[in-house]
Amino acid sequence: MKRNSPLKNLHQTGLYGNYKNQNENDLLVIREITNLKIFQIVQYKSSTLNIDSLKLDGLSFPVHAGFVEASDTTRVQWNAPNTWIIISSNENIIDDIIKNFHENDFAITDQSHSRAIIQIEGKKALDVIKKGSPLNLNDFKKNNCANSIYHGITISIDMLDDDLNKFNIMALRSFTGSFHHAITDAALEFGYKGL
Amino acid sequence: MLEIRCPYCGNRSQNEFAYGGDATIKRPELNTEVTDQEWDNFVYYRKNPRGNHLELWHHISGCRQWFKVHRNTATHEILKTLEMKENL
Amino acid sequence: MSQDFRINNCGLINRDKEIIFIFNGKKYTGYKGDTLASALLANGIHLIARSFKYHRPRGIIAAGVEDANGKVQLYKNDTTEPNVNVTEVELVEGLRIESQNCWPSVSFDVGAINNLLNRFFPAGFYYKTFMWPKSFWYKVYEPFIRKAAGMGKASLDPDPDRYEHRYEHCDILVVGSGPSGISSALAAAKNGAQVILAEDKPRFGGSLLTDNITIGNKNGDEWVNDAIAELRSMPNVIVRGRSQVFGYYDHNMLVMFERCKDHLGNPEIFTPRQRLWYIRAKQVIISTGSIERPLVFGNNDRPGIMLASSAKEYLKIYGVLVGKKPIIFTNNDTAYETAIEFKNKGIDSIVVDTREASNAGIVNEAKKLGIEIKFSHAIANTSGYKKVSSATIGKLNKTKDGFESLSELKCDCICVSGNWTPTVHLASQSGNKLKYDSNLDTFLPDQSRQEETVIGSANGTFTLKKSLEEGFNTGFKLSNEITNNNNRVPIPISDEKEYGEHDKFWCMPLPDKKHYKRFVDFQNDVAVSDIQLAVREGFRSIEHVKRYTTLGMATDQGKTSNLNGLQLVSDIEKKIVPEVGHTTFRPPYTSVTIGTIIGREVGKNYRATRKSPIHNWHEKNNGVFVDAGLWLRPRYYKQGDETLHEASKREALNVRKNVGVCDVTSLGKIDIKGKDSAEFLNRVYTNAFLKLPVGKARYGVMLREDGMVFDDGTTTRISENHFHMTTTTAQAANVLSHLEYYLQIVWPELDVNVTSTTEQWAGAAIAGPKSRLLLGKLFPNEDVSTEGLPFMGYREFKFKNTIARVFRISFSGELAYEINIMSDFGEMMWEEIVKAGQEFNIQAYGTEALSTLRIEMGHVAGSEIDGRTIAYDLSLEGMLSKKKDFIGKRSLSRQAFMNEGREKIVGVVPLDKKTSIPEGSYIVKDPNAKLPNPKLGHVSASCWSVEYDNPFSLAIIKDGKNKKGEKLYAVSPLKNKTIPVEIVSQHYVDPEGKRVRS
Repeated sequence: MKRNSPLKNLHQTGLYGNYKNQNENDLLVIREITNLKIFQIVQYKSSTLNIDSLKLDGLSFPVHAGFVEASDTTRVQWNAPNTWIIISSNENIIDDIIKNFHENDFAITDQSHSRAIIQIEGKKALDVIKKGSPLNLNDFKKNNCANSIYHGITISIDMLDDDLNKFNIMALRSFTGSFHHAITDAALEFGYKGL
Repeated sequence: MLEIRCPYCGNRSQNEFAYGGDATIKRPELNTEVTDQEWDNFVYYRKNPRGNHLELWHHISGCRQWFKVHRNTATHEILKTLEMKENL
Repeated sequence: MSQDFRINNCGLINRDKEIIFIFNGKKYTGYKGDTLASALLANGIHLIARSFKYHRPRGIIAAGVEDANGKVQLYKNDTTEPNVNVTEVELVEGLRIESQNCWPSVSFDVGAINNLLNRFFPAGFYYKTFMWPKSFWYKVYEPFIRKAAGMGKASLDPDPDRYEHRYEHCDILVVGSGPSGISSALAAAKNGAQVILAEDKPRFGGSLLTDNITIGNKNGDEWVNDAIAELRSMPNVIVRGRSQVFGYYDHNMLVMFERCKDHLGNPEIFTPRQRLWYIRAKQVIISTGSIERPLVFGNNDRPGIMLASSAKEYLKIYGVLVGKKPIIFTNNDTAYETAIEFKNKGIDSIVVDTREASNAGIVNEAKKLGIEIKFSHAIANTSGYKKVSSATIGKLNKTKDGFESLSELKCDCICVSGNWTPTVHLASQSGNKLKYDSNLDTFLPDQSRQEETVIGSANGTFTLKKSLEEGFNTGFKLSNEITNNNNRVPIPISDEKEYGEHDKFWCMPLPDKKHYKRFVDFQNDVAVSDIQLAVREGFRSIEHVKRYTTLGMATDQGKTSNLNGLQLVSDIEKKIVPEVGHTTFRPPYTSVTIGTIIGREVGKNYRATRKSPIHNWHEKNNGVFVDAGLWLRPRYYKQGDETLHEASKREALNVRKNVGVCDVTSLGKIDIKGKDSAEFLNRVYTNAFLKLPVGKARYGVMLREDGMVFDDGTTTRISENHFHMTTTTAQAANVLSHLEYYLQIVWPELDVNVTSTTEQWAGAAIAGPKSRLLLGKLFPNEDVSTEGLPFMGYREFKFKNTIARVFRISFSGELAYEINIMSDFGEMMWEEIVKAGQEFNIQAYGTEALSTLRIEMGHVAGSEIDGRTIAYDLSLEGMLSKKKDFIGKRSLSRQAFMNEGREKIVGVVPLDKKTSIPEGSYIVKDPNAKLPNPKLGHVSASCWSVEYDNPFSLAIIKDGKNKKGEKLYAVSPLKNKTIPVEIVSQHYVDPEGKRVRS
């Protein structure tokens, strides 16, 4: 069976909002990111393992709030003390996880189907996010992430690239309709291209 | 709208949190004799100070950690925030 | 009329474009850059409205938000807005405005009869009248008052505009772009701080646009333009005009509304009309300026009587003469600028000054220009019903409580100045206590409670030189503390007029035997006599005087009247002003549209909605949805033109006979892992969990610490240290927080991880006697017999390229299984179930049928677990372990919980087997007993029993365990029903639970 992504019946391609007086290349781009593996890894209190000694897909685990260790395929996000979210396009990442993260030391929970991810990219991306989130994003840089809310919906914001102003915003899957509406509605003022 | 410094995530807006009541209340141990008064004190009775109050907050839209906030209930001034294991 | 009062070669408006607008049915023209007020005045129109109580003719008194009278009903495109002030609306094409509070017209208003009867409408008449006879209130007084009350008309149409929000953070927020504001913004920005400069008006500069000054050899407006251009060019600065900071909240959060669209001729569709900013600033600089006070004298409210500085503003910014024969009436030097500006345009004015003399530079300049000045004089009264036409002026006696002589002076406008009131609202809102300055006769900011600094005239600094100094120094100091930079901007030299002392005299006496009305609050028609009356009647506190007289309570919030009122009270009480105190400043500073506050939370988007991954199928198959918290769940699937009752009956019956499938995705799922998981569950649930075998599920009940039942669900042991907990939909989030609370705070020694997996798995329940056959067809290679998958058993089965978690648990009381599959496969799994189930007559069933099934089985759910019931009440006392301690156990020994005859759940059947019993009905012994009728209990849930084809309800009633067989009554006063009933067992269907174990 193929995976039905959360936004399958919802997200539409095309040009929307105040796009008419703008160069199409300057428009915001909004797309859905699908088919990723998402795992939550929590280190147990009684585990004596030093997290610095462990790597996943070549990436180490950030110990400070707000940071992401990233490669082209995999992102390791700090989510809470001793808690990380792994987001990967590598179908077999679970094998790597099981091999290196033993169940005596770590609680591993598959969350691959539990999230909707919308990517927004462009000059006005921050302005769209500021419309609904009280988070201070003025110092956000590439590979910074934070959990916050967007128009009342709990989200996680992950900055992929600061030159391109590219963000992945993740929300619980059941909120997809409201979440997608909130983001695309906020983008109408600037005009956006749905891909 | 308060601004609360989560000890893990930093300064965040009040709408990311849920309030959890008096942080000085300690639950009696399981399987121990507790008098009715002691149990009532734990479940029901709370001081309602006009002034500094050490209380619990839950960062529900953030790291989901419970932590302590020392807040003045009349002015909302937040004097300090602490992890659960820390003390004033 | 065609702009007879517009003069050429002055002003900051754009005369290239003439714009037409309509006032009370007539067409007028103005220019781009006008406000409606300046355009009206240019056309010689002063009479705008009728006052609230006495319906007196009223005109424009100011050029900004402090104007009290210029409220009109605004029509634009297809919308209308009431109580819009003409001084705040920028002129664009297509505006139509109408006077409010008058009929048939503002010129001839029947309501003016109130003015003739004003003796019967003093302050406080609201409290003394309309009281007798009591019966007259509903039929006579209230309808009459309702018609007479209010000002404009609210629109009944939905607001067609978009309103948006924005959260912003900055180092320094500067409120107000007068000389001190712009200086501080420049200083801070150049020193590397992130700065936001907010200005309410469309033009920046404040007093710099109207005063005769120079800064660094530039004129005021030149300097402002250069400064703003520089600020706009800096990447660390946000400059916003048309943006008012209207509220100061905790931890330096301020709110501002930005007017984005109303001034644009052809705005883009998706541009919001207004934007609400939530600004969190490290430091706030309040440079909001000050507002001129009127003087109080007989009939001082006529159209044509306005603030002197506003008359100057109309001239200098809009090129409009507010009159051609002005009187300038003042107790201080600043009004002389207005006289001089008039003179420069060839208009002679007469200055009436209450002081004996003044040697200030500006007064000498006026004298040199030949302007006539009458010192020691005051205005006693004015004439001119619809527009002021003359003033009675007189020489004040030595003690200033009477006149030595009186004479008439013809005029067509009176420009008054009674001193200045710093705009301290935001400082006060932030907690700054304010102190009274007896030199300036006004309240000034005192101790800050939050990170704010007040500068400029808002701080009592009334010279340009000092304002600039304050601005540049404050901007540098605050930015240096934040950025540690030391780039100081040099303070430019400035040139200004010199002013002297003002007269501490502002309320003119009445001539002998005259009782002219002297107004203090124009918008609410509060006069000196009203305030004197309030004090005479014993209202001493300024808060009481305010509420009794309604002084300062109108839409202008007393901007021109509060301080005069306060001083009057203090004079009468022979106290000094600070002893009288001041009323509390509260946000908003001016009216804010509700749309702005709401933003995009309108219509369906009022709150977020949660949908199951299978939602699409429900929609396509005529699912009718119901709100279950934030979730949308199918309530029933409508076939043909079925009613809710018919559909749910069909669906429930089909479950009992064949097999049904129900979407149970919304129920909470919590993944629990760790070596102390079993121990933790054992403490959380009332029943034993330590020895739950792997591959088995167990029904569990959890209590709150006060002993009330909190939630129920089933928890399955997937492996030794891995459990899957389910909760009700409504309590999913609360249960997760509850578990986290105990793990992080109460028992941190336990090593357990809890994570919500509600979203990871879609859930479908298949229920009914044929469900096993269906399960076998879905998983042909698995042993689904009752031995292979026993009651309360759990298995993981392969399903195509994924796995399905299958739990043999039942909410409906029939043989049933819950199948969980990862959400992206949810809809496809469901379709497979429906396809495979065709041969067994499968039908989808919704929450209504689900309710029916569980109610007639006697299973409790949210309507019984309502936070007031203990396990005993729900017949769950068998779940309470006697061997271990658990959350809430200690509370169970409360006397009330152990009383004989305590409430317990029962079944209720109407004797006629026909009448449905409304949920919430009371159970009583005798429906005709004297009130209050002793309540035995209430009906918690009702359904149409498909098993017996009659109504059936669950109720929780006193001594329920002994009431079986009794005949009682169900009474619903709300639905006006009294139903004879019989009490039966709550397990109406299959009381021995045979079906689930089949």
